[in-house]
Amino acid sequence: MTTIEITGSVLQEQFGRAVGRRLSAGTAELPYHVTERLRAARVQALAQRKAEATAPSVVANGHAGAVSLGRFGLWQQIGTVLPLVALVSGLVLINSVMNERRASEVAEVDAALLTDDLPPSAYADPGFVQFLKSGR
Amino acid sequence: MATEQELSDFLRSVEKRAFKRSVYHVRDEEAALDIVQDAMMKLAEHYGDKPPGELPMLFQRILSNCTLDWFRRQKTRNALFSNMSEFEASTEDAEFDLLETFDLGEGSQQGESAEDATRRAQIFREIEAQIQELPARQREAFLMRYWEDMDVAETAAAMGCSEGSVKTHCSRAVAALSKALKAKGIQP
Repeated sequence: MTTIEITGSVLQEQFGRAVGRRLSAGTAELPYHVTERLRAARVQALAQRKAEATAPSVVANGHAGAVSLGRFGLWQQIGTVLPLVALVSGLVLINSVMNERRASEVAEVDAALLTDDLPPSAYADPGFVQFLKSGR
Repeated sequence: MATEQELSDFLRSVEKRAFKRSVYHVRDEEAALDIVQDAMMKLAEHYGDKPPGELPMLFQRILSNCTLDWFRRQKTRNALFSNMSEFEASTEDAEFDLLETFDLGEGSQQGESAEDATRRAQIFREIEAQIQELPARQREAFLMRYWEDMDVAETAAAMGCSEGSVKTHCSRAVAALSKALKAKGIQP
């Protein structure tokens, strides 16, 4: 690099810094609505970060517990996992009960249809349906 | 990993400059505020656990991407009147005066005469106007280097280009600014 180039580079740097200082000085005082909006954005961003940081920590604890149970104590691990286990078992139980109830309802309807005097195919007959309607 | 306080301090230290830089780009105060908020949220959400030293670079990158996203959305919203061309390299200025709404806040400089304050405000307005005239890439490089105090390598990484390109952009920006300001008799 020649002396002229170095001088040019230094001048460029000086000019740039001077403009930067002017901009900083001018930007220091922004209108109130702008500074308030920026403050609100900052607070919201920090809250977002907090929410993000809390969620993975549960998973991280669970993961650490799986690797080494002794680290946080056995009871703490059980206390962490227990609600999850209770939730999953509850959902499984509710699902099986609902399935059973639905199956028994269908079975009852089927049984009623099959044991009735009328054959099930009669309900598909338009004439019979008309007969039922006119009889009411 | 940055603590909440460190992250808060960092955001406070960059928010005003980030806002002004966005205004220079999009020329819309409300849009600039949205962009800065978006960038802050993304930084906190995705990189809030990074070391404090990495935050400036990450934030600059996110801010640039958010600004580009804004231009893309504008382009989609209004295909006929696209601002994207301005972001590329246009030197034509729209009829827009950001500084009509800008208040320097009188009395902030104790002991300064009214004449000095007016002169200072005038110089600031002229500098801002000339910065807005710069092509987007030159403006971005110039502001990162001399306002955000980033070195050439950091600026290149934040802009996603080579260090040589940053030097070229900065050199052209300085040449254009110094010529324009000199023509108006302004010494920064």
